[in-house]
Amino acid sequence: MVSIKKIITRDKISTILFLIIPIVLVIIFIYICIIWNVVVSFSDWDGLRPSYDFKGFGQYQKLFTNEIFLTSLWNNIVLILIFVPGSLVMGLLLAILLDQKVRKENVFKLIYLLPFTLSFVVTGFLWRWMYNVRVGVLNTLLESIGLGFFRNDWIQNVDWAMFWVCVVLIWQYSGYMMLIFLAGIRSIPESQVMAAAVDGASGFQMYYRIIIPQLKAPIFTGFVLLLVFALKAFDLIFILTGGGPGYTTEILPLTMYKEVFRKKHFSYGSAIATILFLLIMIVVIPYLYKTYRREK
Amino acid sequence: MKTNKIGSKKKRLPNPKRVFLYFLLILFVFLTLLPLWSAVMTALKTQEALIYSNPIQPPIKPSLDAFGTAFNELRRPILNSLMFTILATLLSCVLGSMTGYALTKVKFRGANTIFLFIIIGIFIPYQAVLIPLVQIIIELGLWGEISGLILTHTAYGIPICTLLFKSFYDSIPDSLINAAKIDGAGIGNTYLHVVLPLSVTPFVVTAVLQFTQIWNDLLFGLVLTGAGASQPASVALLNLQGGFVTAWNVQMAGTLWYTIPSLIVYLVLGKYLIKGFMTGAIKG
Repeated sequence: MVSIKKIITRDKISTILFLIIPIVLVIIFIYICIIWNVVVSFSDWDGLRPSYDFKGFGQYQKLFTNEIFLTSLWNNIVLILIFVPGSLVMGLLLAILLDQKVRKENVFKLIYLLPFTLSFVVTGFLWRWMYNVRVGVLNTLLESIGLGFFRNDWIQNVDWAMFWVCVVLIWQYSGYMMLIFLAGIRSIPESQVMAAAVDGASGFQMYYRIIIPQLKAPIFTGFVLLLVFALKAFDLIFILTGGGPGYTTEILPLTMYKEVFRKKHFSYGSAIATILFLLIMIVVIPYLYKTYRREK
Repeated sequence: MKTNKIGSKKKRLPNPKRVFLYFLLILFVFLTLLPLWSAVMTALKTQEALIYSNPIQPPIKPSLDAFGTAFNELRRPILNSLMFTILATLLSCVLGSMTGYALTKVKFRGANTIFLFIIIGIFIPYQAVLIPLVQIIIELGLWGEISGLILTHTAYGIPICTLLFKSFYDSIPDSLINAAKIDGAGIGNTYLHVVLPLSVTPFVVTAVLQFTQIWNDLLFGLVLTGAGASQPASVALLNLQGGFVTAWNVQMAGTLWYTIPSLIVYLVLGKYLIKGFMTGAIKG
C-alpha cells in the first residue's frame, strides 16, 4: 500500500518538476537581468572590460543634466498625452458604432483589428510611405482630390512629427481598444438598458448616462495597457523616424538603444533602462494589485 | 452570465442615421486599409511606373518584379523567422500550460505569489533586460544563432502563456481533478490524461498569440543576430533599402512578404487571436 506520506512527497516532487524550468527561466531572464542591469547602471562598465568600478549615482546625475535624456523623457510624456486618450476615444467610438446592430459586424471587427496584428516593423514602413513628402501616399492623394494646400511634411516637421507618430499608433491600437470596449458594453445587464429605454433615454443619452459610466473597468484596463505600451514603444519609432527630425520623436527606449548599441555607453544606457523600468512599475504594480484583489 | 446586445433591444435608428452610421463605418474601413492598399499597389509597379502614377492607383501593367527582388533578399530571413517563431511558440506554450496547471490545480501555498512573480514579466520593458540578455546569450555561445532567439523568445513568452493557460484552467472544475486523484492518478498523470485533452482551445489561442508576437518582434532580432545568417525577416527588412534612393516598390513588396504569414494566421484563426488578446490584454 502506498502511504499518504508517500503520495504527498510524490506530488511535491512532481509539482517542482512542473515548475522548475519556467521558474528558472523567469528568474534568469527577468529578475537576474533586471538586477544586473541596475548593477551596471551604478558602474562605469563600457561593455569591454571584464570588471566593474562602482561609481554610485554618477550615471543618474549625468542623466538629469543631459539634454537628450530630458528631451526624450518629455517626448515620452507628449506621446502619452496624445496617444492614450486618442486611442481610448477612437476605440470607444468604433465600439459604439459597431454596437448599433450592424450588418456584417464581424467583418468590420476583423478589419478594424487588423492593424493591431501587424508588426510595428510593417506599420513603420507602411507609414513611412504614407508620409513620404515628395511622392508619398497622403500628399499625392490630397493633391489628386484637389486638397493640395493640405500637403504637409508630416513626420519631417519639427513641430508636428510627434503628433503624426501618434496618429500611426492610434491607427494601430484603436481596433484593440474597440475590442475591449465592445466586450464591456456587451456585458452590461440588459435590465438596465431596458429601464433606461422605458424612461425614454435617447441613443446618445443611453451611452452618455448609462453605458459609458459602466465601462470604468475596461477603460481602466485600456488606460493601463496603453500607458505601459507608450513607455515601451520602440520598434515603430525606430523605423518610422529613428527619433528625428533632430530629437523631436526620440523617446526613452530609443535613447537607451542608441546609447548602448551605437555609442557603447553601457552603464549610461542601463541607467536609462532602470528609469524606464521604474516608470512602468509605478503603473503596473498598482494595476496588478487591484486586479489581483478583485479576483479574490 | 447575462449578456445582451444593446443594439437589438433598441429601436433601430431611423434611416438617415443608419446611412450616416454605415458611412462612418466604411470611412473607418477605408482609413484602416489605405496603407495596406497603397502598399499592394506600389509593390505591383515597376520603378518607372511608380514615378508617373499615384500610389493608390492600380498599376496599368501589374509587374511582379518587385516581389521577386524582395523575395530573393528575404527568402533566408523568412525561413529563419518561421523556424524560431514556430519552435519558440511551441516551447513557450508547453511550458505555459504546465505552469498554468501547477498553479491552479495543484493546491499549494504560495501559488498565487509565484503567479504574480511570473506575470510581472509581461509588462517589463525589454530595454531593462537588454544588456544582461546580450551578455548571457554571448556567454552561452548562442549569439547570432537561431537557438539563441528560440531560447530568448521562449523565456520571455512564459509570463503571457502562463497567464492565458491559468485563466483557462481556472474554469476547469476541480471535481474533475479530484476524481482523477481518487483513482490514484498523480499530478503528472492527471495533467497528461485529464487536463491536456481539455486544452486544445487554450493551446490554439496561446499559440496564435505567441506566433504573432514572436513573428512581429524586432528588438531581440536586432541585438541577438547582427547581420549574420540567422537574421530574422524583421531585421532583414531594414536592410532592404540599400543605395541612396529607397526603391519603394521593393520595400513595400518586402513588407508584404513579411506580413503574409501573420496575415494568414489572422485570417484563418482570427477568432482565437481575439480571444488571446482579450484574455491577455497585452501587447509588448
